Amino acid sequence: MTTRTSPPAPHGLLGPAPARCVLLCLASTAATGAGLLLPAALGRTLDLLLAQAPATRWVLWCAGLVLLLALLDAAETVLGGTLDARTTAWLRRRLTAHVLAVGPRATARFGPGDLVARLVGNAAQAGTAPTARAALLAALAGPVGAVVALGLVSPWLAAVFLAGAPVLALLLRAFARDTRECVTRYQEVQGRIAQALSEAVGGHRTIRAAGTEDRETARILRPLPELSEAGHRMWRVQGRASGQSVAVAPLLQLGVLAVAGVLLARHRITVGEVLAASRYAVLATGVGVLVGQLSGLARARAAAGRLDEVLAEPAVRHGERGLPPGPGRLELRGVTALRGARAVLDGVDLVVPGGTTLAVVGRSGAGKSLLAAVAGRLVEPDAGEVLLDGVPLRELAHDELRRSIGYAFERPALLGGTVEEEIGLALPSPAPARVREAARTARADDFVRRLPSGYDTLVADAPRSGGESQRLGLARAFAHGGRLLILDDALSSLDTVTEARIADALVSGGAGGTRLLVAHRTATAARADAVAWLDGGRVRAVGPHEELWRLPEYRAVFGGGEDAADGGPA
Amino acid sequence: MSDGSAHGGMYGRGLRYLRARWRVLVRLGGWSVLETGQTFLTGYAPARALDEGFLAGRPGVGLGWLGVAGIGVLVGAFGTVRVYAGVAALVEPLRDVLVGRVVERGVREADAGALSGLTQQVEIARDTFAGLVMVSRSFVFTAVGAVVGLASLDPRLLLVVLPPLAAGLGLFAATLRPLARRQEEFLVADEALADGLGRVCPGLRDITAAGAEARVAGDTGRLVDTEQRAAYSLARWSVLRVASLALGGQLPIVLLLACAPWLLARGVTTGALVGALAYVTQSLLPALRNLVHGLGTSGSRLVVVLRRLVREPATAPAAGGQVVRREPHGAPPLPSRTGTPGPDDDGTYPAAPGMAAHPPAPALPGDRTDAQPADRHAGAAGHRLTPHTPAGPTDHGPGTRPAGADARPGTAPRPADRAPALSLTAVSFAYGPAATPVVDHLDLALPAGAHLAVVGPSGIGKSTLTALVAGLLRPTGGSIRLCGHPVPSPDAAALRVLIPQEAYVHTGTLAENLGHLRMDPVPEPELLAAAEAVGLAPLLEALGGPQASVDPAALSAGERQLVALTRAYLSYAPLVLLDEATCHLDPPAEERAERAFANRPGTTLVVVAHRISSARRAGRVLLMDGSRTAYGTHDELVRDSPAYRELVGGWSAVPPKRSEPALPLGDPDRVDAVAGPGLAGDRGHVVAHGPVRQAQVPGDLRDGGPLGREG
Repeated sequence: MTTRTSPPAPHGLLGPAPARCVLLCLASTAATGAGLLLPAALGRTLDLLLAQAPATRWVLWCAGLVLLLALLDAAETVLGGTLDARTTAWLRRRLTAHVLAVGPRATARFGPGDLVARLVGNAAQAGTAPTARAALLAALAGPVGAVVALGLVSPWLAAVFLAGAPVLALLLRAFARDTRECVTRYQEVQGRIAQALSEAVGGHRTIRAAGTEDRETARILRPLPELSEAGHRMWRVQGRASGQSVAVAPLLQLGVLAVAGVLLARHRITVGEVLAASRYAVLATGVGVLVGQLSGLARARAAAGRLDEVLAEPAVRHGERGLPPGPGRLELRGVTALRGARAVLDGVDLVVPGGTTLAVVGRSGAGKSLLAAVAGRLVEPDAGEVLLDGVPLRELAHDELRRSIGYAFERPALLGGTVEEEIGLALPSPAPARVREAARTARADDFVRRLPSGYDTLVADAPRSGGESQRLGLARAFAHGGRLLILDDALSSLDTVTEARIADALVSGGAGGTRLLVAHRTATAARADAVAWLDGGRVRAVGPHEELWRLPEYRAVFGGGEDAADGGPA
Repeated sequence: MSDGSAHGGMYGRGLRYLRARWRVLVRLGGWSVLETGQTFLTGYAPARALDEGFLAGRPGVGLGWLGVAGIGVLVGAFGTVRVYAGVAALVEPLRDVLVGRVVERGVREADAGALSGLTQQVEIARDTFAGLVMVSRSFVFTAVGAVVGLASLDPRLLLVVLPPLAAGLGLFAATLRPLARRQEEFLVADEALADGLGRVCPGLRDITAAGAEARVAGDTGRLVDTEQRAAYSLARWSVLRVASLALGGQLPIVLLLACAPWLLARGVTTGALVGALAYVTQSLLPALRNLVHGLGTSGSRLVVVLRRLVREPATAPAAGGQVVRREPHGAPPLPSRTGTPGPDDDGTYPAAPGMAAHPPAPALPGDRTDAQPADRHAGAAGHRLTPHTPAGPTDHGPGTRPAGADARPGTAPRPADRAPALSLTAVSFAYGPAATPVVDHLDLALPAGAHLAVVGPSGIGKSTLTALVAGLLRPTGGSIRLCGHPVPSPDAAALRVLIPQEAYVHTGTLAENLGHLRMDPVPEPELLAAAEAVGLAPLLEALGGPQASVDPAALSAGERQLVALTRAYLSYAPLVLLDEATCHLDPPAEERAERAFANRPGTTLVVVAHRISSARRAGRVLLMDGSRTAYGTHDELVRDSPAYRELVGGWSAVPPKRSEPALPLGDPDRVDAVAGPGLAGDRGHVVAHGPVRQAQVPGDLRDGGPLGREG
């Protein structure tokens, strides 16, 4: 049924563009090498110049090194930027394709918000991994090479530096510890303001109608001084911390310089070597860069791990069969579907003859929505089989499966296009006439035409009630067509009149086809040719609503709501 | 996007902001001078240490000079600490301003995006602004320190160092704008991608069901491609940064060496040459690098974020109440249409221009657009209400209400004495020029003290109607008056209170919530009496009295509605609009609340009905059903309006195909007894001509009178 299409972590260490990655590594390492050579060359040149010896060759050497550094820097910039972009884009394309192949399971497993965070934020972080790896060698070589170079100038210089370095590390760590507490405080106040604002956004009609916007704004902003205070504190703490760390590196360099000066006074080294030593001391304090690189790489790896979790989710596999001509007979054979360890559907056998309408009723939690999902292969049954006109759904080709089965949901997800695009989501090419026809059937045409730009209005800009969203979803299903139409509680937010009109169109609509309706209202159940009564994951009874209505327990399914009062067959 | 003007406005505002904080800038500059001192010593101290110390065979002097540099470092670090305080004084007020703006806009426009603005964009603005201040300040003071140092070592050094530095800065300045544009393009593409994925992930079920995976993958792929292209372009343009860095920071090193013989020949000391190299490599180059990278990235990021945060609020409240604009689409605010939709519509739906082209409400056979009949009716309407009618709000609890507390003391009633509590004249509303009107030439006059129920299928425009009356939406044609005051106007705002379906309760005490619509605290007895009348009393007790604090999330939807209803009950507004405000209450609680408002002195009540019982309690019913709009008493509508019968039938949940409408639902005797001759025919006529004008003025109101007060 399902298979692991892709093993986790197939994106190798070097990412999708290994050549570029290797080039970047070479460029940055070469730049580091040139950077390490430059102080020595500078020192040597200076010595020659001070001795008034011919130094043109050495000056040219230095110029060449500087030029090389600039060129390598440019190459690094372009290679790094494009490598990040390419890796990130590659990851996102792969993840999107995989998530789409996994389908609703992915949302169920991770939650939509988390999934977005992984595709957007984590992919961007993970995308920097090849660059970070490529730069790692250079970042390591820089400080190490500088310390070695110091040692070559004089072992004393390296000794001074290495003795002072631990102080640097300690102070840098103090910084990280200090800020966290006041950041928490800041976020807490910010959260209070956000909470009050979100309440007010929810109550904007009340506020605007009463004209109390100013008072509300003032009330919400009451904690602002606290926020400001917490913010100032953050800066103070940060200022203290960076005051400490800012002093460490220059002091270390001065220490090296002092020892170099003394060595110079004793004629153990030359002026040029003093100059070189002071440069090497600076390069050696670049060890902080290495720490940054390493933590960046760690972040990228953690992000890549979160992406691997998504990729490890198995994708749905489709068969290659087509459907024979048929009326759309739906058959469930021993279908069992688990949620965790609990069998929400437990060996369900059900046949919906082609061209008929079956209403599925049951208490909440009885498994109605899961049945609807299984019937159209939105969810894979854990056992049993679903057949459409005699062909198991999992043997059907993807396009054939989706062409043949249409869905409408209680809360349709709208994808942000125009109303026209939303309704025509399932259509391979634009079909304005079909979209409008479907909208009329779903009783959505009226309100769509009232939107600012009619069918061209972006759904995000369309003021919608729950009932209106639902009708857009219905129109989408009607435009989709197919021999099986599954309505998962897709009429619940409609007023009874509209529901009745749509249900009539559904049941009596000439196109034929089989309909499966998950219903809460007696009126809907009464309209169907038959009702399947789900109870505890099993089909308790199948029959016309009128017959089932005689059973008190069946009546109890419809609860004590308004419907139940006089909802029986009249 | 009007790039130039947007930038100009932004920079102008930025300058004003900084000018208003010149003291902070001076303080910041003062502390930064310490940094300058440190930079000065970076080259000067080693130069002296070499020349007078180590090279002169006096290592002690050399160490002394390096010690001075060390002290300079410590003093500079102290300066850094204080600089942060200065940056805070510059950044935190900006954050305050931005938070204020975001909250204000969130409250005014109900922009759900305001929340992410508050928690993310404001923080981005805060961080990038601080970064910019740090980086540019640091560059300026470091450069000054280095230049002064070079000059004091030997002015000739400046001849070598300054020209390439200036050239590098010039190149950087020239590339700043195109780079910022690339950066902005990238940010926009990134946001569009995040937005697209943010819709795909929650919609996976629907995408799978529609078999639209390939299409969605294609759409998302295009967004990914756009972002990648933008990133590539940005990376390529960044080479210019490297170039300006090489020019301004690296070239001086080579030049110093190349010119060394010339410099040395003119008395520049060894120490000075080493010092100059130290200035270039240790001060100028890092500061320039920070500037080039910091200003290039943070600068454009800040501009993008700020532009988003401080963008002017929507120009007109035409649709602000309901249409939540999403930024990524850049949808312009919907213009307030005061005229009818133009003839330039595409004509796909002749209904839109056709209907709108009608002249405002051709007068009825009768003369009922006049307010007089309404008043006549009001006189006859309800014995209980009649005495209150003309006085309106002023006689509402005169003992407990100080006249000054009201926003419009004494002004409202005078011109309004004879005007209906609510009158709509040829009111039309459409969400856009191409849209079919939701409300089309609606006329309605409600006398003071009346009780109207608005019914109709979901999505037909009932809430739009209340939003129009409440001033949340502006009609595209016609006029609305409350007690004679035009809507919108401050007078009218004080005359009405709207309780929408989504009850507003905020974190705070119960008393705060209930007194939301009053300027002064509500006396406790009045508050308790109101709670008792509306049905909030049990909840009020359970929570622990008026001073108990309320967590809206801990209340049920019904409890929140009770709080909102009591709040409205306590307001001074004579016109009360309940827009499905009782939908989460059970029928008895709903009835209690509605009756409380019906019995509230001087109150005109408009209820968008959630249950048919609401309509039966009301004196009049307005049925909205697209073209089939009808107006009358419940019984009349049951008798005359098939649409209403269908609705009543539906509401009783009897499948229409099996049921005859439950006629008569009302009291047939009374209908017959009071309905004047010819009235029924008149109304039937009205319904038949629905498409021409959506709704009719109230029928001759005498017939509705006796039925008006069932409660």
